[in-house]
Parts: sequence; C-alpha cells; structure tokens
Amino acid sequence: MTTLMNIQTQYPLMDDAHLAHQARADPEAFAELYRRHVTSVYRYHMAHTGNVKDAEDLTSQTFMAALEGIRSFRGTGSYIAWLMGIASRKRALFFRGNKPQVPLDAALHIPTPSLPTEKIASRRLQRDQILSALQNISHDRAEALILCFFSELSFVEAGVVLGKSEAAVKMLISRGLQDLRTRTSIALEVEYE
Amino acid sequence: MNKDVLNQIPADEQPVASKLNSAAEDIQLSPAFQWELETQLMEKYKTKTQPALGWYTKITTAVGWAFAAICVVFLLNWTIRSLVPSISPASGETPTVTISFEGNVRAGNICAGPLAVAHNFSVSLTNQDKTGFVPLDGQKAIGELRSFDWSPNGQLAVVGNTAGNGNIYLVDSADNSLQPLIFNSELGYLMDVAWSQDGKQLLIWSLKDTTSVYLVHVDRTDLLERKFVPQLFSIPQLSPDNRSMVFYGADPIFAGLFELKFDDSQVISISPLVEDENGFAWSPEGSRLAYIEMDRDLGEARLVTMGDKMSVLATLPIPKGSGSSIPDVANLSWSQDGTKVIFDFGRSASDRVIYLAYADGSGFVKVVDSAYAPTISADGRCLAYISNKQVFLLDLTGVSLSSTTSTPLLLADLPAGRAIADFRLDKLQWRP
Repeated sequence: MTTLMNIQTQYPLMDDAHLAHQARADPEAFAELYRRHVTSVYRYHMAHTGNVKDAEDLTSQTFMAALEGIRSFRGTGSYIAWLMGIASRKRALFFRGNKPQVPLDAALHIPTPSLPTEKIASRRLQRDQILSALQNISHDRAEALILCFFSELSFVEAGVVLGKSEAAVKMLISRGLQDLRTRTSIALEVEYE
Repeated sequence: MNKDVLNQIPADEQPVASKLNSAAEDIQLSPAFQWELETQLMEKYKTKTQPALGWYTKITTAVGWAFAAICVVFLLNWTIRSLVPSISPASGETPTVTISFEGNVRAGNICAGPLAVAHNFSVSLTNQDKTGFVPLDGQKAIGELRSFDWSPNGQLAVVGNTAGNGNIYLVDSADNSLQPLIFNSELGYLMDVAWSQDGKQLLIWSLKDTTSVYLVHVDRTDLLERKFVPQLFSIPQLSPDNRSMVFYGADPIFAGLFELKFDDSQVISISPLVEDENGFAWSPEGSRLAYIEMDRDLGEARLVTMGDKMSVLATLPIPKGSGSSIPDVANLSWSQDGTKVIFDFGRSASDRVIYLAYADGSGFVKVVDSAYAPTISADGRCLAYISNKQVFLLDLTGVSLSSTTSTPLLLADLPAGRAIADFRLDKLQWRP
C-alpha cells in the first residue's frame, strides 16, 4: 500500500552504502540519502546548540560538505557514521569560533497543532531542561547520548564517530544516563512520574 | 525511536533514557527549511557535476552540431525525394500528402491542447508546437507547485505552498499566469486539488487535518469544510452530482475505498480491497467508477467498473498472502470518450508497466514497459507517458488487443523542477 502520507521512494530497499555509491552520479540518490538522515543531523545540532537558527545553519553546512565529499565515502563503513563525523567536525568548528551558546528559543517547530497549548509548553520546557542537562555532564558522555538518542546511531556507529569501541560507547551511555539521573533536574521529574 | 539502543539500556536507566528519546522526537525540522536546503543541495549538485566548458570546447561543440544538422537536412531531403514517386499527378487529381504522426502532433492537427506535467515540485505546460515544456512559475517566486487538475471545461487549477502555507491558483489561459484563488491560507500545507464535474467547485486536501476536506467555489463565494471519521490518504473525487465524494482512506476498522454522502455524512465502504491512492476514477460522463482491487487471497489485481452493473475489465497476477509485497497501481484515468481505462502498475519507476483496458470488457493490453503517468489526449489519439525522465507520445491508432505497432515519439525531457520529488508525485494530464 502506498500513500502520500508514507511515500516510498524508488530506492526503498537500497541500503545507504549503495545509495552513496550511486549518489556520485545520481542526484536522486543523494536526495534520498538527505531525506533519510536530515532529521538525525538536525537533532544532533539542535542538541548541541539549542538554537534553531544555528542548528539549521550547521545542518546545511554538514550536507553541503557531504555533497562535496561523497566520493570520499568508500562504502566500507556506515554512511550515517561518516555523515555524523562531518556533523561533529562542523559542530567543533562552530564552537571553536567562540560563538555564544544561546538558550533554546521559543520558536522550536513542533508539528502537533492538536496538542493543547499547556501541553506543548510543558514539553518544550522538558526538552529545554534535558538539553541544558546534557551540557552539564562530561563532553564524551553527552556526545555519546546525543549520537545514540538524538541521531539514532547504534553503539557501533557512535563508536566510529567517537573513535571508541562499542563497549566504550555503552559505558559512556550508561555513565551519562547515571549522571543525568543523579545530577540534574531530570531525576526529579522521573521520580515524580 | 532508537529501539536497539533502548533495549540495551539497564532497567533502572530506562526512565531517563525514555525522557531523552521524547526530547529528541520533539525536535522536528521545519518543512520550509528542509525544502529550502534540499533545493540548495540539488542546485549545488547540478553545478558540481556540470564541468565548466572552455571557449574552444564550446566552439567545437557548436560547429559539430551545425555540421550534424546540415547532414541530417541533406539526408532527409534525399530520402524524401527518393521515396516520392517522380511521376506528376494526373491532371485534375489533388496530390495527397501523408503527414507523419509527429508532424500532425507538432502542427496541432491531433492531440491538440496543452499537456500539463507536475514534476519535482514544479508544474509546466507544453509549448505551442509541443517540443518542450514551459514552467508556470518560471521565476520560482512560489515555494513549490505541487500538483494540478484540469476542470472538465479546461480550467487549470494548481496547488502550491509557500513556507508551509497553501495556495490555490487558477491559470489564466491567455498568458498562463497564475491567479491566486486561495493565498497563504491557514488551511496548512496543501497536498492536492480536484475539480467538481461541473467545473464550479474545487476540492482541497490539506495535511493539517486528514479528516477534513475543503470545498471552495471557483468564484470565491464559498469555502466549506467537510469533516468525517475516516482518515484521508489522498485527494477525493467528487461524484458527478456533487452530492458525495469517493476517496481512499481508513476508518478505525479497515482501509479501502469509501464514499461520503454529503447530505447525511454517511460513509459507505465501496471496497476494502483497494490499496492505492490513485487507483480509482470516475468516467467522464460520470456513470461509472473504475477502481483496482488487490485480492491478496486470490493473488490477483482486478480492474473493476461500478455503474449499473459491476464488471471486471482486467486481472493481473500479484503475490498471494497478506504479508506479501505487492505492486501498486497509480494514475488510473479514462479516455474522454469513456471507452478506455489506462493505469500504470509496478513497484518502482523503472519496472512499471502501462496497461490499457477497453471499458466494454473486450480485453486489455500491455502498452508500454518501464513507463508511468499515462494520460490520453482529448481526441483519444495520443497516449502521453513518462519513461526514463522523458515524456513520450504514442499513437493510439496503432494499439490494439493483438499488437502495438506505434513507435513512441519523444516529446521532451521532463522539466528540471525545483527539487527532487518522489516519482509518484509526477503527474501528466491533457487538457480535456
């Protein structure tokens, strides 16, 4: 069954590596890769910058760089790990430029118009707290959590981006979650639920 | 949600992990940004893959083409002279000149009227001599032009969106300019538009609420919202008497083809075996509804017409079983004289097949391989379709149940459009 709500593309079964190879000569293949992963990249940058404008800018830079370097992806590893490596470098450059970190703005796009206003506000507040909490734990742990939860990478893929083993990533995730639970305001909310 | 990761998190960390997941899922890209970036990427892709030509290369290429053109003209001239009998016609007889299918098409003797195409978020019309397409919004001032529909009396309506807000335009046939009917509306992102059979009302479908449609009068006097229980998966079609609409959607029990009666808001299931959004169409005179059922138990797809009686015009094999991956059907439409039904069938853009079925039940025929988006011209002479990113025309006088003798005529490449869209959004339609 095909619907416009759930459009299948002409590459429904093609994996990322083959698509990436095809994307060297076929713009549609690159567009398909873009559509598959743009949300992961955007969430990664949102988690780091907490700012829609900067996250959009960094997402744009990431995909422009991916397009420039698509021929350098050899297909031996995961495409999303390769892409998130670019995202990670763009993020590092961004913060190296001493750009001030600004709090989450109120213009976060939430496509749930049917939700009551209070609920939307509550969810925004909760997300704001979580993103702030991530900035208060060690960088490695926060990065592992962001890659696995916001960009939806596997432990192995996150390991490729971080230059660590799968076991090391699991350890970072575990410690990161403990940090969030014991040292931040998320703990209170969880306990009250 | 990253279930693989979540499943490996110890139970005592699960609540915090779930919070992280929720926070991540709340972050959504704005469609406008996503759209804009995709457009930028595709433009960059084009410039990246087009090598810059030096003046020497340009001149060499131009000279080469000119030489080739001269050769072709000489060759054609010689061929025509050798084929035409040298004896002059007898006195008093009028010489008969046979004009080719292509010549007739280009001269507008057959398949007259523009052919509209929606491709890559742009809508275009064929030029006067049908040698190419002219985009309706050449300046690209509108965010995107997503789809269109010709009214039975030849009025073209186009649906577009700018930064997530929907616009409906009527095309002025004098200069093909876009005249806004609904502009920057609060109806949200508009997906598609469909005319009523009398050409007075437009049905609009928005992503904002998939249990509503909007009926707007073409003279802007009325905008009516129709709400109902089943969820819509595609643009509905108004019945010939405008008292109901047929749509592909899902109620809480099952998905399929439904009819909504406007008088009492009653929803009737026509067929739970319909599985595709573009697999149904009213006949031009409005007496029959054609649709395709996917019978997974029997392993067959059936083209059915419903009117005074039910008829099965064609059956095609599909894999059996509810879990099987089956082809989809799309772009089902009728010829203007109501004698033929055309549709494409397949899994991807490259493996689709165009079938033509005769509405009297005499049979059906496979017309073209590796092609989709078929549409028949108003005079019934031309079949237009897309294949390998090009638009072709086929002379339907050469198509019969026993054979297809026509040779496809390349009309033009598909217009470039704004950004790459799924091929299922491609649409071709002749002006009625």
